[in-house]
Amino acid sequence: MSIRALWVISHEKGECGTVSFSRRYPTVERRARGLAGRRYVPIPEDSDLLRPLLTELGVTDPEKPFVTSRDDCARPQRSPALEVHLEGQDGGTLWPLLAITQGELILACLPLVEVPLEPQPPLPSLPSVSQGLSLLAGLQTFICGAGGRVEGDLLASRLALLPAVLLQTCPLGTPLDTLQLGLPPAPSPAPAGPQKQPAWKPGVHRGRAVVNVALSEQVRSMQYGSRTKQDLWDVFGTVTCKCELEGVLPNVTVTLCLPPNGSPLQDVLVHPCVTSLDSSVLTANSIDDSDGSSFSGPYKFPFSPPLEPFRLCSYTSQVPVPPILGSYQLKEEESQLKLTVSLKLHESVRNSFEYCEAHLPFFNRGPLNIVDVRVSAGQLEVSREKSLLVWVLGQKFPKSLEATLGGTVAFSGQSPGPVDPLCTGLTAYIKLYFRVPDLTLSGCSVDQHSVQVYSSAKPRITTCECQHTKSTNAHKSLTVRTHMKKCTH
Amino acid sequence: PGPPMAAPPSPWLQRVASFSRSPSRFLSRASADVFLAELLRGLRDERAAESTQVLLLSLLQEYPTLLCPFSSAGEETCTALMAIYAQVPHKAVNFKCHLMLAITNVFICTSSATGEGEVKVAERVLDLLIQTVQDTNDHKDSITCRPLRALACDCLREMEACYPGLLSQKLEALYFLKQQETSTLHQAYALLYTVALKNAVHLLSRQKAIAEGDLKNLLSGNEGFVWKVMEKPLPPFPLSSTEQIPVLQTSAETRELKSVVSLLLEESYLLTAVSQSALLRELIQVVVMVQALSPALFKSQLLRLFGTMEISLLHSTLLMKGTFTDSLFTTEDENFLLKRLVGMAQHPLLSSAHKLFCMDCILHFPENRPISCNGEESLPVLVTPRLAASLLPTVFNDSGTMLRRLRLLSLVYLEADEDEVEKGVGYLFDHLMALWKIVDNYGTREVTATFFRAAYTFLYYFYPNEKFTSDLTKSLCELYSRQSQLAPNMINLIDRTQENLPESGWPIRLLQALQTQIVELPLSQMTTQSLCWHLKVLGRVAKESQVSQKTTVRFLLNLLASSGLCGSGDWRMGNAVLAVCRHLLRHPGLDQVFIELSDLLQFTMHHYEDMDIQDHARFYYTLLTNLSREKLSGVLDKGPEGGQAKVRSLSSLMAESEELSSCLTIHPTRGPVLHLLKHQLNGVASELQNSRSEHSGVEDYLKTYRDQFLSPGFSSDIVLKFHLTFAGEVEALYHKLFCICLHFELTDSNYEEVTDIDVPCLLKDRKPPVVSLTLTPRQPYPMVLRASAIFSTEDGLSWRTQLADVPVAFPDVFLPLPVPVSWSLEARGRLFDQLWRAMSSRESSQSAISLFCFQVGEKPLSDIVQSHFHRYLVSAQSSQEHYKVLLFLPPKFHILFDIKNAEDAARVNIATDSWNLLPYINSYLKSITDLDSVTVPSPEA
Repeated sequence: MSIRALWVISHEKGECGTVSFSRRYPTVERRARGLAGRRYVPIPEDSDLLRPLLTELGVTDPEKPFVTSRDDCARPQRSPALEVHLEGQDGGTLWPLLAITQGELILACLPLVEVPLEPQPPLPSLPSVSQGLSLLAGLQTFICGAGGRVEGDLLASRLALLPAVLLQTCPLGTPLDTLQLGLPPAPSPAPAGPQKQPAWKPGVHRGRAVVNVALSEQVRSMQYGSRTKQDLWDVFGTVTCKCELEGVLPNVTVTLCLPPNGSPLQDVLVHPCVTSLDSSVLTANSIDDSDGSSFSGPYKFPFSPPLEPFRLCSYTSQVPVPPILGSYQLKEEESQLKLTVSLKLHESVRNSFEYCEAHLPFFNRGPLNIVDVRVSAGQLEVSREKSLLVWVLGQKFPKSLEATLGGTVAFSGQSPGPVDPLCTGLTAYIKLYFRVPDLTLSGCSVDQHSVQVYSSAKPRITTCECQHTKSTNAHKSLTVRTHMKKCTH
Repeated sequence: PGPPMAAPPSPWLQRVASFSRSPSRFLSRASADVFLAELLRGLRDERAAESTQVLLLSLLQEYPTLLCPFSSAGEETCTALMAIYAQVPHKAVNFKCHLMLAITNVFICTSSATGEGEVKVAERVLDLLIQTVQDTNDHKDSITCRPLRALACDCLREMEACYPGLLSQKLEALYFLKQQETSTLHQAYALLYTVALKNAVHLLSRQKAIAEGDLKNLLSGNEGFVWKVMEKPLPPFPLSSTEQIPVLQTSAETRELKSVVSLLLEESYLLTAVSQSALLRELIQVVVMVQALSPALFKSQLLRLFGTMEISLLHSTLLMKGTFTDSLFTTEDENFLLKRLVGMAQHPLLSSAHKLFCMDCILHFPENRPISCNGEESLPVLVTPRLAASLLPTVFNDSGTMLRRLRLLSLVYLEADEDEVEKGVGYLFDHLMALWKIVDNYGTREVTATFFRAAYTFLYYFYPNEKFTSDLTKSLCELYSRQSQLAPNMINLIDRTQENLPESGWPIRLLQALQTQIVELPLSQMTTQSLCWHLKVLGRVAKESQVSQKTTVRFLLNLLASSGLCGSGDWRMGNAVLAVCRHLLRHPGLDQVFIELSDLLQFTMHHYEDMDIQDHARFYYTLLTNLSREKLSGVLDKGPEGGQAKVRSLSSLMAESEELSSCLTIHPTRGPVLHLLKHQLNGVASELQNSRSEHSGVEDYLKTYRDQFLSPGFSSDIVLKFHLTFAGEVEALYHKLFCICLHFELTDSNYEEVTDIDVPCLLKDRKPPVVSLTLTPRQPYPMVLRASAIFSTEDGLSWRTQLADVPVAFPDVFLPLPVPVSWSLEARGRLFDQLWRAMSSRESSQSAISLFCFQVGEKPLSDIVQSHFHRYLVSAQSSQEHYKVLLFLPPKFHILFDIKNAEDAARVNIATDSWNLLPYINSYLKSITDLDSVTVPSPEA
């Protein structure tokens, strides 16, 4: 379960790309040569890998509309395990080259294949593949952090740290741990007792015991306002913990509770530090609602915490209604657009927002020129160049729980303005961002009493809940041909 | 101390970077052993910064085989690194870690551990590692040394992975270490122990007879290393289901083993997720081999694993499932796992790579009762349309996810009930149309490529469905009417569907529809650009025998007659029109368009304002009107054998087409075809010739000699002779090669450009021709030439092939002393002495004196001299075993050897006028004397 080599490639759109970092594992390569026999393809030099890899990712020759090697319609889609056809005299095919793209970075590694290469074995039969994926995911966290875009000096400084980090986490091609943000912590003395220190917990906390549990839910919703197209919304939640507790292996149990008739938590995924799970916690899933096995909690998660903050578990939930219902109508009248928007907050949702704003972008029409729009609540911000209206609703909906926007806009069709191949004609959308503190849509909750700590010192326990929401209301006053949504973060 | 160094080394940072960028290019400029020696010197340099030394070690860690191409070099490097390791102060843990890593990498990659010396090195390396890992819980060394210990564990694990069974007799010691360790390092010990245990059991299972206590003894073994596994490695563990898994045939008590495995599993929770999955995999293999162990051992871990968000642990669970099937997993478990996979394949919190992998896992799900097990993608029975509904593709997916979902869902609907099919396929088609709409709105290139892939996937599974395919045809035509630049995508889609779905009539229908659409277009609306695409499509249509070409011909005729095309005389457009005509000439329905086509060609030859086009058209017209159908297709069709030569002969008369361009382009050969074999000099016994002629008056031999160099180009070339042969058994196609042009490229700047060499022919059964390669050195260093050749084969095609690199070794650059033949031996001897004096008097800062000693072995000194230097001997006193050798290296360098046999060793006094040559001289002498020896630079050098 090893990888043969690792690459970090910077690739700006339209450029040919450079290998910013590479690491080869010659002992694994020796094994690879022995295992593959005649079918062995040696790892090429960095410069020889670059182009075939970029071709496989479909990003070479951006100025050419059609290149067979890149755009052939019958070329199998193998992502994330690419088949890279090397050029040159020896040629050969490297497989399975795992690659993930993050912004302008391409992270890639080549796992060792320990079974005969002929015929090509299925990906799931290769244990090294998931190890490689974990490694790449860790590498992504290490280089990009939670943010995403990393460039210039920051990227260079992170890459400069990489050899030292790999010396600890993957010195000989077999990953021992996943990379995390920042350098691995310094080792701490071995515990005095017989209990072994977990490998994922390099030290022991000393000082005041504190347990933080935060529950946050996100709602994604798409509302089409159409009889033929069903509105969609999905809710998913995560529980994050930060535990500062003494002892090598302190035990904590977090219990999630649902209100009496709440719908069960589905697709529960837990952190590997969870020690055991009741099978009923795992039974509900979103893809198969037939087995209404009425288990609805309490959901107990016994675990022993690592030092760093971590995601204890995540779940999805099916709630009966979206938190805000919206409708959006557009009419083209001569050279202007007539807009009507109404938003209605569901009565079950607490009317107290951290923020709430609606974005109304206009595409393929040029910059906004005349804006004559009134709102019943909140303010309107206009960004003419971006052809964007931002309706800031603030902290509260009015008493009626409804807010409306109406008026007309016109465009100066001189300069191009934003374009989008989907939002043509009267196809458009309004996108809503909001956040409600201390509320979960599923009703799932965690409080001080639901956190049990088996530890000598009494810990301070804090819990918090919140709801991030994004919802998109799409409308088209003519025929709806395609569903609309924009993903946001 | 080695030979004197060249200029002070350029900053290491730069050199290391340039090495890593392209090791081959770097090593073509500097020889590996010289560079290795420099690296080691850099490591020994106490003044060097640690960061620099770590940088140097990184090369040995990543490229041990390039830096130590022979096992002897590896052995020496290991020894050198270990010597450094021993001297590094205790607290330089980081440097020691890197040293240890380099030692392990160099050792594993270069050693075959067969020779006596190698085993000695191996013992020392393993000793170092074992010593390091024995300090559990940091008793001896402080906690700061822990990284070193962790690394030593991993190095041992890698040793065991590369030489399976090496530690198989040390299990008790390893177990003890694992039990002892309580710091986070217990993971490293646990992994090391588990790998060793698995390999030991594997080794045991391959024995024919197993005695009662063997398994027990295995666990309590505490002996040396099993060296024999280095020579004859254990075959890899058969993971795939097709191979027989070795089974330990024993009824013996397995209690100890069971408790060992249970304990490892119990403690697996304390390991990081990736290490847990590695550990689980080893244990799965142990349990598979020892059938007395029940898979139920894993049960306690399963529930923990079932809920995991960690991809590697999920994967381990699936591997477990695939291995143990219903002996560990119930049908319910199976159902649960599968639903979970489907759920994870679209989970909003997982990355898209993870989701794609989950989709792969669904398509290769290890069912308890699989219907087929051919390793191909197949849908598990339990995946129903309802279950898979959450994986329906949407336009918001990234293209990889979307296409994968489309494929998975297509498989789902292929298997589904009828009413579900209707709905499901309808959805997929709607999805395709949503993509179509984006393309229609001028979506990005990526979306366009994705749309055509999606269309291909859809067709692949549902081509028999008339309704959808005819809708697709309509949509594609509509798209083409607005965006004719998509012609290459369309043609590609048509080609691929036709190739892969030969029974589908859809490509023909699309072509017909496109033809109809194009010929009905009003000429006034056509731009040159769109016309170009239209002609491309019509050319493709004309290849189809089932499509009537009448409308095409009329369209072309109308085009030429009514548009300004003929008057414009655009050569490219004219060619595009003729390309269609050429396809038409080969069309089986030619008779139906005979008159129109001849009108068309006649019109072109009279009215097109371009001579070349007119000529082509006239030629086609002549062919059309004079040849019978059979002859016409005989002329135009590409024959199966030797056809190309014929087309080639017509090439100047014909329009550009794919077949033709294949004749006119140079093709790369698939493998190596040619080989340059060094011509062994027919040992022309050039005895020391004492020329009789007098040349009195010449006193200052040196001046006379040096004056020669004033005339430009004097003796500045070396000539190497090669046999040009076939590279082994080549395809019959290459048995007769003509007009071979050999082209050489330099890999460094030490030589002048090499001129191409032409060889008239190379025939399979004839004697290989000799080619002479003339090289003009600027600096007489060894080098490598990149060689390639262009040649033609009997069928008239041209090929380009790469030859193996041609090495120019150091002795290849030697020439005998360039003096007139008339010079007597004595004169030469005098010159030798004068040169020697000049060099040792340091008249130039470049000259140097050195000494090389070696043990004279079985081969007498005279033999060595005769076999290597007979052409260069200036004086030989065989009785006293005293020889003088003068090597001339163009353009103006000399190497003088004064070889004497002293009592205990032969001494080679060396003088040269270029001290840069010393490393090469040293390694050359080393190679020919073939024995351990030392060079002692004399004090003046």
